[in-house]
Amino acid sequence: MAASTPETLADIRRQQAQRLRQAEIRRLLARIVFIALLIGCTIMFMAPFVWLISASLKVRAEVFNNELIPDPIAWENYINVWQAAPVLAWLKNSVIVGFLAAATVTLSCAAIAFGFSYFRFPGRDTLFGLVLATMMLPGAVTMVPVFLVWNGLGLVNTQVPLWAGNLFGSAFYIFMIRQFYLSLPRELFEAARVDGASYLQIWRHIALPLTRTALIVVFIFEFKASWTDLIKPLIYLYNTALFTLPRGLKAILDQFGQGGEMQWEIVLAASVIVTIPMIVIFFLGQRYFMEGIATSGLKG
Amino acid sequence: MFGSKSRTVLAVLAIILVAVAFPIQRTSQAQGEVTGTLNVMGFSLPDEIATVRVDQFKAAYPDVTVNITEGALDEQQFLTAIASGNAPDVVYMGRDVLSSYAVRGAIVPLTECIDSMGIDMSQYREAAVAQVTVNGEVYGIPEFFNSIMLFINNKALADAGLTLDDVDVSDWDKVAEINQALTRIEDGTLTRIGFDPKLPEFLPLWAKANGVSLLSEDGRTAQLNDPRVLEALQFTVGLHEPAGGRQAFMAFRDTWDFFGAQNQMVSDQLGVFPMEQWYMNVLANVSPDADITFKAFTDREGNPLTYVTGNTWAIPRGSANPEAACAWMKTMTSVDTWVAAATTRAQMRAEAGTINTGVYTANRAADEVIFSEIVLPALTNETFKTGVEVILSVQDSAYAIPANPAAAEFKQAWQDAVNRVLNGEQTAEEALAQAQEEAQAALDEAWSQQ
Amino acid sequence: MTQQSAVVVRPFGRTTPLQRNEMLAGLAFISPWFIGFLVFTAGPMIASLGLAFTEYDVLNPPKFVGLQNFQRLLTDPRLGLSLGNSIFYTVLHVPLVMMVALGLALLLNRVGKAAGFFRTVFYLPSITPAVAVGALWLWILNPRIGLINRGLALLGIAGPGWTTDPNWIKPGIVLMSLWSVGSTVILYLAALRNVPPELYEAARIDGANGWQQFRHITIPMISGTVFFTLVVNTIASLQIFTEVYTMYFGNMNSGAAASAGLFYNIYLFRQAFEFLRMGYASAMAWLLFVIIMILTVIQLRTSNRWVYYEGA
Repeated sequence: MAASTPETLADIRRQQAQRLRQAEIRRLLARIVFIALLIGCTIMFMAPFVWLISASLKVRAEVFNNELIPDPIAWENYINVWQAAPVLAWLKNSVIVGFLAAATVTLSCAAIAFGFSYFRFPGRDTLFGLVLATMMLPGAVTMVPVFLVWNGLGLVNTQVPLWAGNLFGSAFYIFMIRQFYLSLPRELFEAARVDGASYLQIWRHIALPLTRTALIVVFIFEFKASWTDLIKPLIYLYNTALFTLPRGLKAILDQFGQGGEMQWEIVLAASVIVTIPMIVIFFLGQRYFMEGIATSGLKG
Repeated sequence: MFGSKSRTVLAVLAIILVAVAFPIQRTSQAQGEVTGTLNVMGFSLPDEIATVRVDQFKAAYPDVTVNITEGALDEQQFLTAIASGNAPDVVYMGRDVLSSYAVRGAIVPLTECIDSMGIDMSQYREAAVAQVTVNGEVYGIPEFFNSIMLFINNKALADAGLTLDDVDVSDWDKVAEINQALTRIEDGTLTRIGFDPKLPEFLPLWAKANGVSLLSEDGRTAQLNDPRVLEALQFTVGLHEPAGGRQAFMAFRDTWDFFGAQNQMVSDQLGVFPMEQWYMNVLANVSPDADITFKAFTDREGNPLTYVTGNTWAIPRGSANPEAACAWMKTMTSVDTWVAAATTRAQMRAEAGTINTGVYTANRAADEVIFSEIVLPALTNETFKTGVEVILSVQDSAYAIPANPAAAEFKQAWQDAVNRVLNGEQTAEEALAQAQEEAQAALDEAWSQQ
Repeated sequence: MTQQSAVVVRPFGRTTPLQRNEMLAGLAFISPWFIGFLVFTAGPMIASLGLAFTEYDVLNPPKFVGLQNFQRLLTDPRLGLSLGNSIFYTVLHVPLVMMVALGLALLLNRVGKAAGFFRTVFYLPSITPAVAVGALWLWILNPRIGLINRGLALLGIAGPGWTTDPNWIKPGIVLMSLWSVGSTVILYLAALRNVPPELYEAARIDGANGWQQFRHITIPMISGTVFFTLVVNTIASLQIFTEVYTMYFGNMNSGAAASAGLFYNIYLFRQAFEFLRMGYASAMAWLLFVIIMILTVIQLRTSNRWVYYEGA
């Protein structure tokens, strides 16, 4: 090893500085790649919606012309949809049904999943296997028997069958919330037990707050599922006044698509009307679920 | 708490069993006066043709409350409603699926309705009535009557040095020739399809032009393996060749602005194709000045030929108000009602300054009035006037696939066969042989249902 | 299935009051599901199993036909075709969706400003109506003028016939499905947010680099969610229906997809409601049920090796 001279010391310092600069450049490069990726993906993912909005504002003859900016801008498409159908009433129905469906499923699944993850009792895993099994049978074949149940209860042509099934939970969400519960340290609950808390209290005051993220995700997913569901409103509702938006959208679609002559501009404008409230709800909801994490105590 | 829940469970289970075992049948009310509620399924109110006629019914039967569940008929919706005893009182469906429901008893024969209401069946076009007649009994009252004709791009003809007389579908060699001449490939890219035979949808039309129906008259025997069907399929598949094969053909066809002002006729992307008459109405709206000509489609002997489709009214089993349903069917399809609707449309189009190509009903008597008194006198655009006249001239030469209770499966059999050939998966012989077997099995099974 | 249960299960007679108490409480918590299961799931499931042995057109009472429907399963060429299509799709779709979703979630997890905006962007396609997505994608996938093939042309690649060539129909559908990964992204994001930051701090102090942190902290900590998405996406993709039905079997009927796009549930739906063969459709449903069940059991069995539960 060479004796240390002022030169070599300077070298080392220079090397250090260089390394720092290299690290800085690497960080900068990483940052650029990151931003490029983000922007690229954003453009790719925004494209369908931009296309949808743009096409919905075009006149009939230009819907598929691939131009970004409609010329002329056909606001009348929206006016036509609005006039052709009680969109406001359908919107209200969708909000009510969606809220009931999401609220009931979130609560019931949170309770059921707790039963399947915290408690230990014989046959539990077999029963949980059954929960999973219910996801695996295509809905088309149980549709008629389920319809007969609601019919037997005299609830056909009401909005009840659209959400009330959720009182009993839903396999997908039970499974999902259970995964979240399982990631919580069991000692948290045991400590509360020792302090004399009841099972209901543990669930209410420990399990629920700690899995707020998951619950909001469930709420958003189910709200979206209910919001876009066509089959249930199609088979259970006969009165136009009870329709939800997708069912109304189908009526509009069939109305403006008679004889094979599809009036796409109307259909697309109606699609935008269906989508926008959902975007607003998601935008607000996701903010809460991200904030929920910061305050849930999971950090420390 | 658990006890009461299990009682609820038992009660609900009991309800299921009862509901499954005894579908609730609503009793029909006494005959005679037409009152009560009328629940309509499968119908929408898209335009004045629909609303004016509904208003006419309401004026004629003020005691009936009409409740329309809007939207085209959906099989799931209809089947669950019937199975649970929530049948609508009257239903609107495609004439092609009617016999499937008729043979299975989901809709009722109209003999009594026709007698008591005095509906004159002779006013409807025979081809449409044949579509709604099963085993000699009428099950539906037909509504619209959609026909097919040739749409010809004049500029393409002129480019290729052809005249209208060269567009002669009775001579298939000639069709292949003009297809070749009208197809345009620039720098290796297809920019105009010469002659689009519209496969798979129009195979029945081409087969009939070659003298054979895909299905025997009584709807029981598939004839997909008939050599004339094979010839029609091979010929029409061959028409895709000059374009560079099926894939190039389809990829190009998908780029057309079919419903727009830059549609394939205006943009010179297509020479000739057979198409349903509603497309004339589209063109009249988006490109009234298009340089096109309409001509009748003919069989190989030169007789005009069209392939007919359309909807029908029917009364489901369990209809709570068959009297009102019958009155509805009669009113919605009567001459006066159709004429009132067509008059309103003519007025609206005149006010908007757009071309009115008329409304084509299954009621021959109504059409006579509509076209001779309302549509043709007001139609000044020569191109579309010819189009209307062509449609009127071919309506009596209509062909439809005979009524049969396996319509959906029959259609799947022959359409899949055409697609397998187009996709190069099978030869025409193999595909049709397989389709014949599938179709016949489905027909035998469905006919044995009754 | 999970680790806790094995410790406890004992015959009823020898349970302590505490254990009995726990059992009753557990049963109370799952009771809503159990009631719903009996009425809305078990009843209808048993009904559909019964129907599999009948000829049933929904309109008339079912007729018992023994094993006829199951014999038909063996001889129906479209059954094998549609099952093969669904499996092909699943094998391609599930791993791709999980990788793309995880990539996007990691990206989103690093976004500081306007995070809400970006999260909404990636969730957008999943809330856009299927009809609009179908129409748009027929356009994007168009072999001649579609965005994808135009992009490939820039790289000097002649793109395939995504919507016209039977061999490329399914890959085209997979591309479309990748668009709608939003739900999976959200799940991963929620899971990533649940990883305690001090784990990373500790790792950094120990000198772990980014990849090592990802491999040894991130992956194990979100493995529960990854496992969940694996199971659920497999089940869902074997049952794919709506998008493809809208794209190729509804108003926008296209011949090229008649065989290549005939997925299991599309064929099942046609049998049940178009051909009025509810009995055969029920037999088909139970076949798929058994297949999914076997796959899920395999996934559950192998999960012990790689899924990490803190609470276990």
